[in-house]
Parts: sequence; C-alpha cells; structure tokens
Amino acid sequence: MSKLKRFLPLILIFGSLLTLLGIKKIKEAHQPDLPTVGILQPLSHPALDEIHRGIVAGLASAGYHNHKNIEIDFQNAQNDQSNLRLMSNRFVTEKAKITIGIATPAAQSLANATKQLPIILGAVTDPASANLVQNNQQPGANITGVSDQAPIQKQLDLMQTVMPQLKTVGILYSSSDNSATSQMQLFKQLAKQKGLQVIDASLSSVNDLEQVSQNLAPKVDAIYVPTDNTIASAMGTLVHVTDKTKTPVFPSAETMVKDGGLATVGLSQYDLGVETGKMAAAVLSGRAKPASTPIRYLRKGHLVLNLKKAKALHITIPQNLVKTAKEKGAIIK
Amino acid sequence: MSLIISTIDQGLLWSLLSLGVFITFRILKFPDMTVEGSFPLGAALSAVMLQQHNLVLSLLVAFIGGCLAGLVTAILYNYFHVQSLLAGILTLTGLYSVNLRILGQANLAIGDQHNLYQLPFLQQLTVDQRLLLLNLIIIAVAMLVLALLLYTEFGQALIAAGDNPTMALSQGIAVKRTKTIGIVLSNGLIALAGGLVAQYNGFADVNMGIGVMVIGLSAIIIGERLLVGRHFISKLISIILGSIVYRLILLLVLQLGFNANDFKLFSAVILAIFIIAPQQKKGMTAK
Repeated sequence: MSKLKRFLPLILIFGSLLTLLGIKKIKEAHQPDLPTVGILQPLSHPALDEIHRGIVAGLASAGYHNHKNIEIDFQNAQNDQSNLRLMSNRFVTEKAKITIGIATPAAQSLANATKQLPIILGAVTDPASANLVQNNQQPGANITGVSDQAPIQKQLDLMQTVMPQLKTVGILYSSSDNSATSQMQLFKQLAKQKGLQVIDASLSSVNDLEQVSQNLAPKVDAIYVPTDNTIASAMGTLVHVTDKTKTPVFPSAETMVKDGGLATVGLSQYDLGVETGKMAAAVLSGRAKPASTPIRYLRKGHLVLNLKKAKALHITIPQNLVKTAKEKGAIIK
Repeated sequence: MSLIISTIDQGLLWSLLSLGVFITFRILKFPDMTVEGSFPLGAALSAVMLQQHNLVLSLLVAFIGGCLAGLVTAILYNYFHVQSLLAGILTLTGLYSVNLRILGQANLAIGDQHNLYQLPFLQQLTVDQRLLLLNLIIIAVAMLVLALLLYTEFGQALIAAGDNPTMALSQGIAVKRTKTIGIVLSNGLIALAGGLVAQYNGFADVNMGIGVMVIGLSAIIIGERLLVGRHFISKLISIILGSIVYRLILLLVLQLGFNANDFKLFSAVILAIFIIAPQQKKGMTAK
C-alpha cells in the first residue's frame, strides 16, 4: 500500500496528462494536416506581444491564416531559459515548416536546436554580432529575419532640430538588454561626433529607474532612451521624474512618446512583426531562401510628436516638423 | 521519439544543478539563494573563456568562480551571522553586476567550433546521440565524485553538521568550517552546471539565473517521491530521475498545447501535488 501511495502523485499527473494528450491526438486525427509555423517568444511584455500580433497579421496579409492553411504553434518561455530549449526541440520534432524567434535568446535557442529548419528572426538588432548569421547581407545558412535597429542618426538630428541649444545629452538604458546597450554605444559615438557632451546611466532592473533618472535629469539638457524593453514598460515613472526638472525625453519607440516622451523618429513594434510575418510567408511559399535573403531593416521611421508634452515643457516645436508629423506620422495632443 | 530523448537529455544536464542544490538544501539544511547568481556566473565565465578556445579551462574557471561566490555567502552567514536566505540574496544581487562585467554585454553567443557538445571526435554520432552520451558521462562522473565525497570522513562530517550541528560540535567537528566548504562546493557545482547549460544552449545570458532555484528544487522534491533508499547513492540517483521526470511532465504539458501563458501555473500546480501528497516517513524528506 505504501508503495502505491508514494507513486500516487506520479500516477495521477502522468495519467491525467496522457489521457488529455490521447484525447487531443484523436481530435487532431480528424483534422487535415496543416503545415506548422512555430513562434517562440522568451517572455510576455507589451513590445514583444505587439511583435507577435504583427507576425500573425503579416502572415495573414500574405494569405497564410491560422487554422485555415497553416497551424500556428505559439510558445512562450515565460522568462525561464530552460524552457526555450524544450520548446525549440518541440518545433523540430513536429517538423514545423518554419520557425520564428522573437528577440535574441529565443532566436539563439532555435539556432542551436536546428540547422535545417528555416528560422526567421523577429527583432534582433544585430544578428551577425549575436552569432546568428555569417553576415547581415548574406546570412548563408537557415536563418534570416528582421532587425529592429532604430534610425539612431535621425533621432539625434531630431533632437538637435527641436533643441538647437542642446549641449549635454543623458542616455538611459538597461544593462541587461543587449539591443539597448548596442544602441546606446552607437548613439554616444554619433553624439560625440556632433560635439555634444554625453552622460550615460544604466539600470539593472525597473526598480532602479526612479533613482537613476533623478540623478541624471538635473545634469543634462535632454534624455535619450534607446529601444529598451524595461524602460518602455515604465515610462510613467521616468516622465514623473523628468517633468520636475523640465527635462525632455526622446525615446526610440512610438509607444514611449504616447507615454510621455517628447518626440521620436521611431519604429513600430507591430510593423516589425508584420515585416517578419511577410518574410516568413515568402520562405514558406518557396519564393525566398534564408541563406540568400539579407537581414531586413525598417528604414521608414515615423515622426511622432507629443505637443501636449512640448507645451508643458515650454518647448516650441518647429512648424515644419509639426507639418511633417501631421502628414506622415502622428501627433499626440 | 527524439523529443523524448532530448528531454531526458536535458533532464540529465539540469540534474547537475539539482545535485548542487541538494548539498545545501538537504544535506546542510541551508536554503541557499546564491544559486540564482552562481548559475549565470558559471555560464558567463565559461562563455568568456571559450572565446579563448580553451574548453578545459572554461569549465575549471566556471567551477572556481562558483566556489568563490559560495564562499562569500558562507562567510556572510557563518562569520557575520547574516540570516541564511539574506546572505544568499546579498550575494546573488551583487553577482548580477559581476556577471554583466564578465560578459561585457547582456548576452554572449558561444560559437559552434569549440564547445564541449561539438568536440571533433564525436562528430560521427547524430546530434541526439552525442548530447545524450556527453550528458550521461558528465552526470555519471559528478555522481561518482559526490558519492565518494559523502562517504569520506569529511562527507560524514558534512551530513552531521547539517543534521544536528550541536551534536556535531560535541563530536569535535568544526561545524562552521564544514558548512563553509559545503556551500562552496555546492556553488562550484552549480556554476559548472551553468557553464555546461550555456554551451548546450549556445549562449550565456545575464538573465539565465531566473527561476533556476525552482528547477533545482523540483527535481529534488519529485525524486524524493520516487525512490527513498537508505544510501546516499540512491538519493543521488533519485534526484537525477526526478530531474528527468520533471522535464517529461513539462514536455507533456507543452504537448497538450495549452495557452503558453499558463505554462508556469501548470508547473506550480504539479509541484504542489508532489509536495502535498502523503509523505514517506523515512529518509531525508522535508518536515
């Protein structure tokens, strides 16, 4: 009896899971076999969820609809890296026609699990430096995709147009975010070439944001924030601090302007997803091969202005910018 | 089938982490949070050393790094009387910055050319066979070393220091020093596991430590339910089985295709079932 007791939880769990699996398999047997598209996301959060939404829309725009002519298998590792590998292997064994990795760790995990299945990268800033492709122009293997490299030069130009007196720029970024760190370095280099003073401040978690920004804001004329997932989710905290010192914040993503940034020439995460989905569709249909498809960069940044914020900070935005934003971008009043 | 094999394979690899957690949690009765810092520390050190193309050194450095991390926690706890959980949390918090410094960035890829799982003389085997063989060897060696260690005089002192420090002290065992060495070795092993996992996954990431504590404990909790022998060797084997069973359960949950966001909840519920279910009244189960 005691022997059985010991194995009770095991029998219970395996029994119920296997039963459910059996039911699922029987159900599936009655359905036509659709090609699988595996999407792997490392964790849930607004920007990444937005990319995921875009991917599904991008596939649909190219005629691939979930449950109709493809079966999308969406897996989310919930920030546990040991699950990434398990989920990548799952795609390989179910012989997915194509796999899509959102952000660097998911992409690396897929790359390690398969050298044959095509892998499409959604939002990896520099695939070559992450060792995912040989070079960004000629990937050369089973991987290609879309980079979320922000138009940094344009963002810097915008800052100087809006603030001609700009002398000292603060950069705020998360040190745990590879993409944000590499953007910070690039921005720093460009700003120094323009003769600006640069002070960079890093945070290791969202809890440091208030203190780090309180320390940075009084020292600088404006703050630049790269495409940083951590800060994007806490713009409210940052703006709360910078409003006190009347320091404008120039973020990299549109959503961050809506949340209280002043202006940006930004990429929309959703558009990144759509591009990724379209690329996946091209590979699915056999029109493109990952090896010879260069990494795609979104060139068209949207000019987004927050006029309400400009008023509060007593900053006059040049009329021609307002006109451009009205025609091709977005204005937040 | 190959999915089951690769899952068993991962179970084997991650059981190395559980063996490390076992030393502190079960033998020393010391809840050591350092794990979540020493695991990515091992990964970071290993990844950086591999850029120099030296495999043996990369694993050795990872092990030593983990030992040092454990030493910090042990000193805080044993000699400055910081509470056990707090001592580990202090170390793991500090290690975050250390790991970033070592990696130089948040995420560092490990090339295919010189990591353990890509050794040239193994290239005739298929990928599955290769990974399974290597992980079996790794875990067999780790178990053997650990089992032998536990049967030495030091090992017995370690067990005594954990079971009943007061009595151990009266038997002339230097409890503080013994505990310190135990925590050091445990974190060395955990960092080694981190280094191997990084090579297996092809990258090291500063966020690798998130949740590894639970993974390590899961295997121990499940393992204790599968097999409770009187000898330490059977306890060690049960941990490895527990680790494999844990992975297989996760695989099943995954195969059922639930909403990906509910994955964590399932893991928690399954573990809870194992913990709540009626306990055996012998061996080293939790009180």
